[in-house]
Amino acid sequence: MKRRATLEEQEAERKVRRRIFKSGFWVLTLLAAVFLLWKLSSLLLPMVVGAFMAYLFRPLKDRFQIPWLHHELRVLTLFAVIGCALFMTGNTVRRHIPDEREKLELKVRIKYKMNEKFQELVGTNDKQKRGGVVAQVLIKELGPMMDKINKFIDLPPEEQELFMKYRTGHAGQPPIEDRFFDYFQANQTTSVYTVQDREPASVRPEHESMANVGQGANVAQSSHHEDFTIWIIAPLIFIFLGFDNGQIRRYIIGLVPNRYFELSLTVMDELDDAIGRYLRGTLMECALVGATLAIGFILVGIPVSIAIAIGVVSGLVNAIPFLGTVIGLIIGLAYALVAENVTPLIPGLNPNDLTVYVCILVFIAHMLDNAIYAPIVLGKAVNLHPLVVALAIVSGSLLGGAWGMLFAIPTVVVVKTAVETLFKELKDYRII
Amino acid sequence: MSVRKFVAEKLLWETLKRWKKSSPELDRLTFLKTVPFFNELSNWQLHKVSGVVFDRTYEAGELIFEQGQPGAALFLITEGQVSVEIYKDHFTATLAVLEQGAFFGEMALLDESPRSASARSLGTTRTLALYRNDLTRLIHTDPETASHIFRALARIVGDRLRSTNELVQGANLDEKISA
Repeated sequence: MKRRATLEEQEAERKVRRRIFKSGFWVLTLLAAVFLLWKLSSLLLPMVVGAFMAYLFRPLKDRFQIPWLHHELRVLTLFAVIGCALFMTGNTVRRHIPDEREKLELKVRIKYKMNEKFQELVGTNDKQKRGGVVAQVLIKELGPMMDKINKFIDLPPEEQELFMKYRTGHAGQPPIEDRFFDYFQANQTTSVYTVQDREPASVRPEHESMANVGQGANVAQSSHHEDFTIWIIAPLIFIFLGFDNGQIRRYIIGLVPNRYFELSLTVMDELDDAIGRYLRGTLMECALVGATLAIGFILVGIPVSIAIAIGVVSGLVNAIPFLGTVIGLIIGLAYALVAENVTPLIPGLNPNDLTVYVCILVFIAHMLDNAIYAPIVLGKAVNLHPLVVALAIVSGSLLGGAWGMLFAIPTVVVVKTAVETLFKELKDYRII
Repeated sequence: MSVRKFVAEKLLWETLKRWKKSSPELDRLTFLKTVPFFNELSNWQLHKVSGVVFDRTYEAGELIFEQGQPGAALFLITEGQVSVEIYKDHFTATLAVLEQGAFFGEMALLDESPRSASARSLGTTRTLALYRNDLTRLIHTDPETASHIFRALARIVGDRLRSTNELVQGANLDEKISA
């Protein structure tokens, strides 16, 4: 009897020790996790991007079934197929990326066309309108911005020299067209729209400024190297998550106490389902908006390669609610302002009204998105209050800039779905 | 069975035998082969099922699942004993004691209806759990394997319904005779 009591006491002590050990272990783990998160915060974004890509890739992997092929070989085959597709796409895209000569032409053209449109707007190229009240207000309000843009896209002396070389034919390339040379000359006389009230900051000895340029180059190089080191994580995460055949899920479930086994399986599954539906739905929605814009731009006469490029970018930024449409409109308008020799495919359209057509197209794409695309592809995936969306985007931009804005809504969706599912299941399993 | 499939199966089985003579993987496959649920499956298909089941170990007296909770998984006993209990009006009755090789909670593979009884571990018990949605996913990724499992499930449910009918009919007959 006494021996049994001693054994029970020993068991009770063991239980207390186990509880203390477990609590201590979890506190230490939590502290270590917080410390690592804080210290390695720069790795967080590449990891999230890699995991995100793997998440999107998973349904494709699940569908790609070859019964006699081992899992790893199957994934490798799929990676090879995707790699080939990416390589071919990259090659096609690279062909449409302007080379050095075309870049110079584009810069000259953008500066000329932009100033031409601005001067038309404020009437500074029309002697009769000059000095009007509206013109004065526009110059006062938009002038500083135009000056900044002009300064940004202005050709530095070495590029001007290069332009002059290409003008007569250089590096086996044909000479630059006369109209671009005219633009180039006109750009030299572009006036400053605001009165400079301060001395330019760049008045300093030449050797000092050259040294700073060298230092700047070194800093930029080391920053690129650092970026590369950090971003190499993303494809690695993608590849290793791609090879995962349920081991991670099994490991996590293995840590869960028996009492919550079925509950955790259900929660994980519902969460996975809801997030997957939302992310894939959003991707589909973005693709549809991008395709609509690209087709529309082609129809109003924008060259196919540029229309596709604008469509892709506008489609991607469409993932940011509210701002996506605005950014798409800005990109479209920016091109419309510098476009020339536009021949619309739809008869009856006036090429000079390209900016109007771009506005109409973006409006149509936005309406289609709200009325047809989003309800069909997203359905009732996740309903977020507009105020929550706005707050999430602002917070995302403050915390992580452009990437923060892009990932703000998916993060809110993950947290919202996790909390909702967890509470529902905890109630169903009569735990709370 | 196609030649490619046959060769792959042989390769897998032979490889496992050679390199994993006492591995948990082989143990699990050997065990799964003995369960009536999976007796129609080939080695390759068993390997797939083995990849989606979870190992769970329960201590003596621990509840595996509780009556009234939503069901999500089927359990196969690989080691130990489990008592199936029903709780009504503050009384608990043991319906059956299941041993190694038996399975329980199979209705959870069909729907989310609440568990009709509780399952409690008697002594240390090791189980394999097959989650409903993993089986549902198998319909898309490997319809042949999934159809074999669902056919076995239908057969088992049918057998149980038949025996319940026989029990009810027997009880009715006894009542009539006594009347």
